[in-house]
Amino acid sequence: MSPSEVAPHARSILVPVDGSHASMQAVALACEIARKSKGKVYVVHVIEVKRTLPLDAQLESEEAAGDVVLSQAERVAREQHFKLEGEILHAREAGPAIVNEAIDRGVDLIVLGMSYPQRFGEFQLGRVVEYVLRSAPCEVWVCRHPPEE
Amino acid sequence: MKAIIMGCGRAGSQLAITLDRDGHDVTILDINAYQFTRFLPESFGGHTITGNGIDQDVLRRAGIEEADAFVAVTAGDNRNVMAAQIARHIFGVERVVCRIYDPIREQMYHRLGLRTISPTREWARLLKEALEAEETQPVASHEGGGQMGAAP
Amino acid sequence: MYIVVVGGGKVGFYLAKELVEANHEVLVIERDPAKCAEIAEVLGEIAMRGDGCEAAIQERAGVGRADLLLAVTGEDEDNLVACQVARHVFQLPRTVARINNPKNELIFRKLGIDSTVSATTAIMAHIEQELPTHPLISLLTLRHGFEIVEVKIPEDAAVVGRALKDVVLPHQSLVWGIVDAEGNPKAPTADTVLHAGDEVVAVTLQESEEALRAAFTGPPPERSF
Repeated sequence: MSPSEVAPHARSILVPVDGSHASMQAVALACEIARKSKGKVYVVHVIEVKRTLPLDAQLESEEAAGDVVLSQAERVAREQHFKLEGEILHAREAGPAIVNEAIDRGVDLIVLGMSYPQRFGEFQLGRVVEYVLRSAPCEVWVCRHPPEE
Repeated sequence: MKAIIMGCGRAGSQLAITLDRDGHDVTILDINAYQFTRFLPESFGGHTITGNGIDQDVLRRAGIEEADAFVAVTAGDNRNVMAAQIARHIFGVERVVCRIYDPIREQMYHRLGLRTISPTREWARLLKEALEAEETQPVASHEGGGQMGAAP
Repeated sequence: MYIVVVGGGKVGFYLAKELVEANHEVLVIERDPAKCAEIAEVLGEIAMRGDGCEAAIQERAGVGRADLLLAVTGEDEDNLVACQVARHVFQLPRTVARINNPKNELIFRKLGIDSTVSATTAIMAHIEQELPTHPLISLLTLRHGFEIVEVKIPEDAAVVGRALKDVVLPHQSLVWGIVDAEGNPKAPTADTVLHAGDEVVAVTLQESEEALRAAFTGPPPERSF
């Protein structure tokens, strides 16, 4: 079954990106679905702003890094002859920012790419993925990469 | 000397017993009266008062207005700090010593002029000293005992 | 304004809610993860888990750029230390503490905590009017040791029938308003004549409270002989 057969209804898809290979694969997957459903893909890169700074603080290097990540995502979409919308968000925490964005844009699917995270030798879902899985009002797909050898 | 000790744990009771033995007038405070029977011997000649040491009425009852020294050694850093400051700034007790486990908070209050002791910092220092002493003069290993001194 | 609230219990929660509604940037520091989750659920990402008395936590909370810190845990000693850390480690000039034991007001003030709020004192203020032994009610503690008080003039007071200018007030005290026995508020002038049952609202230093009470409630001198 192709992804578009699993989620043919997905007309608007949100993909959070952090620049990792896993997040770019999530972009590719989302584009493939949206191309067939004639839907839209929104890509967001969240900059987590520490409490020591105001939320609207100028963070030049983080912004620049965010632009690089977004253009990377755009390149992935172009390979499939697809055009996506990208945005950089400032937030205190990525999880709630992603969920709020999903609600604001009324998306019907969030696609998250994740590597195989380990901490102290144990598999950990991570706070962002966990929060989105727990709190998003829409369908959520998590694409986990194989553990690194 | 008339001394008030707040907190009848191991440290507080030990200090109370020693000061009492040396002939000082000692009053020891604790919220929990059971601590007195747990840590003080029958022979203890000082006074015991059950109550919260950050309550000025309790401190008055303990005779803080005539006290020469106040020592705060409850398990709570914040409670110790508050009681010590009450003893000093409200009742003008001359010698006030206060235990603060958290070394960062201890430094801050030390800078604010309180006599403070951080057991955490002191322990770390003593342990480091012990370790460094081992390095320079290896102790003879006991028969069949510890491996620390590693005999050649 | 950026306002840091230490303590996410009932007081901290509703305080944060009001402040968020008033469009302030708010952060609540709370030790209990369940309470943090509850705050996040209702008010968004404005809760941080940790001990608000610790300098490291206050640092992460950005107390260094805060305009105000409100310490409203249920323990007076924790509120005192949270305010002192903010003042002395992060040079935050404005701190407010909740206190439970009204007798602790003095030590907080001596240690430079700008304002204290005590529910006990506030509730006492409501019932003290009914207690004849308490003709002076403390309404609000201000900065620099000042407070706003209310004194009810008893029938046998020396000041009854006299003008305000003839009343000798203690140093740094000022009469702000008078509510007469019928409940009409008046802005007093030097010539305003005082009546039995008048409620005088005044600003005074906390140490002058007793002198102020005596000035408005004391009996005429001939009767005190």
